[in-house]
Amino acid sequence: MSGAAGRLMPIERLRVAIRSDDALRRAALSLTVSRAGHLVVGLDEAADVVLADDGSPAGETRNVIRLGGADDGSHGVLPQDADESQIDAAIRAVAAGLLVRAPRLRDTGFGAMGEADSQALLTPRELEVLAALAEGMTNKAIARRLDISLHTVKFHMESLFRKLGARTRTEAVAKASERRRRETIML
Amino acid sequence: MSDPKDPLVEFSDALIARTETAKSIVAAVRFGHGRHVTGIVWPSGVVVASEQALPRQEDFELVAPGGATIAAKIAGRDPSTNIAILKPVEAMAAPAIEAGKARAGAVALAFGADGAGGASARLGLVNQAGPEWHSSRGGLIEQHIVLDLLLAQREEGGPVLDAAGVCLGMSTFGPRSQVIVIPSATIERIVPLLLKHGHIARGWLGVALQAVAVPEALRENSDQSSGLMVMSVVENGPAAQAGIVAGDIILSVDGTPTHRFRRIARHFGSESIGRKAEIRLIRSGAVTTVHATIAERRAA
Repeated sequence: MSGAAGRLMPIERLRVAIRSDDALRRAALSLTVSRAGHLVVGLDEAADVVLADDGSPAGETRNVIRLGGADDGSHGVLPQDADESQIDAAIRAVAAGLLVRAPRLRDTGFGAMGEADSQALLTPRELEVLAALAEGMTNKAIARRLDISLHTVKFHMESLFRKLGARTRTEAVAKASERRRRETIML
Repeated sequence: MSDPKDPLVEFSDALIARTETAKSIVAAVRFGHGRHVTGIVWPSGVVVASEQALPRQEDFELVAPGGATIAAKIAGRDPSTNIAILKPVEAMAAPAIEAGKARAGAVALAFGADGAGGASARLGLVNQAGPEWHSSRGGLIEQHIVLDLLLAQREEGGPVLDAAGVCLGMSTFGPRSQVIVIPSATIERIVPLLLKHGHIARGWLGVALQAVAVPEALRENSDQSSGLMVMSVVENGPAAQAGIVAGDIILSVDGTPTHRFRRIARHFGSESIGRKAEIRLIRSGAVTTVHATIAERRAA
């Protein structure tokens, strides 16, 4: 038995491009991809795998992992709310020439209107802090951008972590993105 | 030979009899490559199916009870209640089956189309029977019914009967592959509207909203601790024309506070179209009121 039993063997960094219309979602996916040890590249660059929220434009020749939506014949089709380990595993599998499907393709199903938890609602200021966080900014940079003290940024950050039930900055961005996806209503 | 009085045999025979009945109202809705889902032959001669299960196309082929194939066109879709209706080119015989409400604990039978004119059967219980609810797309569903049985994808959209043979509604997949039922009452309400208009009209402002906490400093002025922040505005939509911009926090619409999505969803039914809505909102730290004319949104 090797010491790496139970873990995927470390491999060369894969180049992953991300396609999503939603900046927060893009940021969350970027963090997931880099945490898994891969390299996030621009959408027009050469990539081993493209992670896409929607279908692929005609002429896409790279390997695509689609997150959510119908099975359109992409190399990978995962539910929209696939977790970090699933996304990482799918990136490695698709780069290795395998096809990836989740056992249950309909990721959402016909569900009820989400009612936001009023205790955990974010303030507009916290949403601004979160947007900066999603861009990977440091507390100092956030303070400068929003023209507030470092102390105030830390205060907002603590509140964000508590309301989102997050322990790390990455987790906060991911949870906020998921919450927004679930709770945005169109009128 | 089995003893006809053996309760287990009687039970089994009753299930077989139910399945025979169900067969006459189950149709396969075929779309390419031998794939199909299930539809219910409704008394008005249309076939009711699960909206989310049907690909976005106009033409389908039905396999009627008994096995005849009949071409059919989509006559209406409503994603908000997950109901689609298909109109066959030839009339289909549709026996009326009594509709009724579900009760938790009741035996439930879910039927699917086998694709050759027969029915497949599933047995379970009504796991939950709750009050009316609103779907994420804003539709009102008369009863919250969850079943504790498995369903194949091709069986989605079939009828669900109780032990007395009463039709509880149409099976479909909820979140996490839970099998839920769109109640007969919802189908009876939506089908005539879909037949008439092809879609269910809903009020529309042209905004994407997210619930936010009202900043402490503004709570007293706004009288509310939460509201809906405008994340984006559809160009030239009713909200845009009323001057609503991203970042505004909507507090109430015609006096209905926005802290419950459901209450607001109810405010934008088909009867709201054309009405002038008074919208109270927070902009740049002050509470103001704007007026927007609610337009019609076609079901997406």
